[in-house]
Amino acid sequence: MNLVRAEWTKLLSTRVGLWLLVVACLMAGGFTALFTGLAGAENGLPPVGTTEFADVVAGIPAQVAVIALVLGVIGMTQEYRHRTATPTFLVSPQRGRVVVAKLLAYAVAGLVVAVAVVAVTVLVATVYGSARGGAPDWSGDAPGVLLRSGLALVVYAVIGVGVGALVRNQVGAVVGALVYLFVVEPIIASVPATADAYAYLPGGALAALTSGDGPGDLLGTWQGGLLLLGYGLVAAVLGTVLAVRRDVV
Amino acid sequence: MRLDGSTPRGTTEEASITSSPPAVGSTVDGPVDGRVEVRDLTKTFGSVTAVDSLSFTVEPGQVTGFLGPNGAGKTTTLRMALGLITPARGTTTIGGTPYAAPPQPTRQVGAVLETAFHPGRTGRDHLRVYCRAAGLPTSRADEVLAQVGLAPAGKRKAGNYSLGMRQRLGLATALLGDPQVLVLDEPANGLDPEGIQWLRGFLRHLAHDQGRTVLISSHLLAEVEQTADRVVIVGAGKLVREGTLDELRGESAGTVLVRTPAAEQLTAALAGTGAVVEATGPGALTVTGLTTDEVGARAFTAGVELHELRSHTSGLEEVYFRLTAGAEQYAATTPGSVA
Repeated sequence: MNLVRAEWTKLLSTRVGLWLLVVACLMAGGFTALFTGLAGAENGLPPVGTTEFADVVAGIPAQVAVIALVLGVIGMTQEYRHRTATPTFLVSPQRGRVVVAKLLAYAVAGLVVAVAVVAVTVLVATVYGSARGGAPDWSGDAPGVLLRSGLALVVYAVIGVGVGALVRNQVGAVVGALVYLFVVEPIIASVPATADAYAYLPGGALAALTSGDGPGDLLGTWQGGLLLLGYGLVAAVLGTVLAVRRDVV
Repeated sequence: MRLDGSTPRGTTEEASITSSPPAVGSTVDGPVDGRVEVRDLTKTFGSVTAVDSLSFTVEPGQVTGFLGPNGAGKTTTLRMALGLITPARGTTTIGGTPYAAPPQPTRQVGAVLETAFHPGRTGRDHLRVYCRAAGLPTSRADEVLAQVGLAPAGKRKAGNYSLGMRQRLGLATALLGDPQVLVLDEPANGLDPEGIQWLRGFLRHLAHDQGRTVLISSHLLAEVEQTADRVVIVGAGKLVREGTLDELRGESAGTVLVRTPAAEQLTAALAGTGAVVEATGPGALTVTGLTTDEVGARAFTAGVELHELRSHTSGLEEVYFRLTAGAEQYAATTPGSVA
């Protein structure tokens, strides 16, 4: 518990976390405003004030999962980048406990981001939607989607910590994660020979858990959720084991 | 100066001040609180053997200098001793147990292996992070800041600190747990002369007055010469010499320089004493193996006029160079260059 509090102190004593939170909220607010502005137009977006529109809006928080991922990656890799891994592991020689504390702390941080992003999304959709003729109708699937989107952010933050522990190089880990999510996965999804595999990748699992839309067949909602949790767990365990075994030089 | 009365050793500060430090070079059997024992440490990186069967002991109540040229394996040794690098072979115990074993190592050992901090975090927040991790009250952060003279800069971002301030912040981090053992890797780097003077006094106070174990590494003998009681010298990952500075000075084989108009007469007078007499110039002799008193007495008896008679110790620096000669991993080719 001391170690989790130490991680919180680390996170709150620099501006990185705050900036990422702001960026995540701006992204979610921006997307929501864009979708609300285009709602009901000839582009296939359902009109404001419907449950269909609420469903679309509810999927938006999941789109900023990448920010939660980056938050986790930076949280772990900054120890190596600024070489604070040395004092950190000197104070807590049981390195596994440090990584577990980080995973817990960033799960909570991911939750904070999730709550903020969901709040911003709902707020913008309600206020802007009302101005355009009607607040979204939240009576359908939307609350569940919002909840699962928020959950996805938490899991992505945890995956980020695991990736950070694996890669250790901050720039490499962030760039690598972005390239994977925005280049590698879309390619896999679009190439017919590998398209089926997409459903089993983190991005596919995220899509299954939240929007349910995506290229090709996706897993069921809870299957996707479990798979995503599984990725988070694998990243966490691998990251912990490597941090314990590798020399800190 | 006060290092927090709540020491985990169960000794009051008074007691540790009055208790005399153990005799230099003494060895007591069994685990001793604060004694660091390095046994047979070995580490290879690829084909390079960074540390090779290294064994030495660091006693409490003294400042021990850990010396060696750059690349001699000092940092690797310290990292192995503190559990950050897994040795290929060998063990290190601190007070009889390995570093990672005690639940609260910060209270037993404080170490600075590099001046590491997040540049966007204030010095005070940096310390509070480790207070939390070690389960110490965060008020310790302010106490150690004051102790190292950084209190006025505590709320500034560490990224804006000067090199000397960074060293002090590192030292403050090591002091958080009020440790019995202090391990510092190149602590004088970047300190100005005033800072070095302060550090010297501070470390000697911790060791001599409070009975703590202080181990400081350096590649420069001059840096530790006035601070350390004892030195452990390594070269190319191997132990070169372990002993007190006085023992090391004894090895410098003092010579006596003599100027006399009757050099030949004096040389004859010194024959049979076992001393090596060498003519170093017109009317100048270097005598090895006798003291100035003995040379003076012989000269007087032989009626030799002396213009100068003085002892010359080659100095620790020369001994250090001789001991570590050829041990530098990246020896420069330019003659006279200092590693």
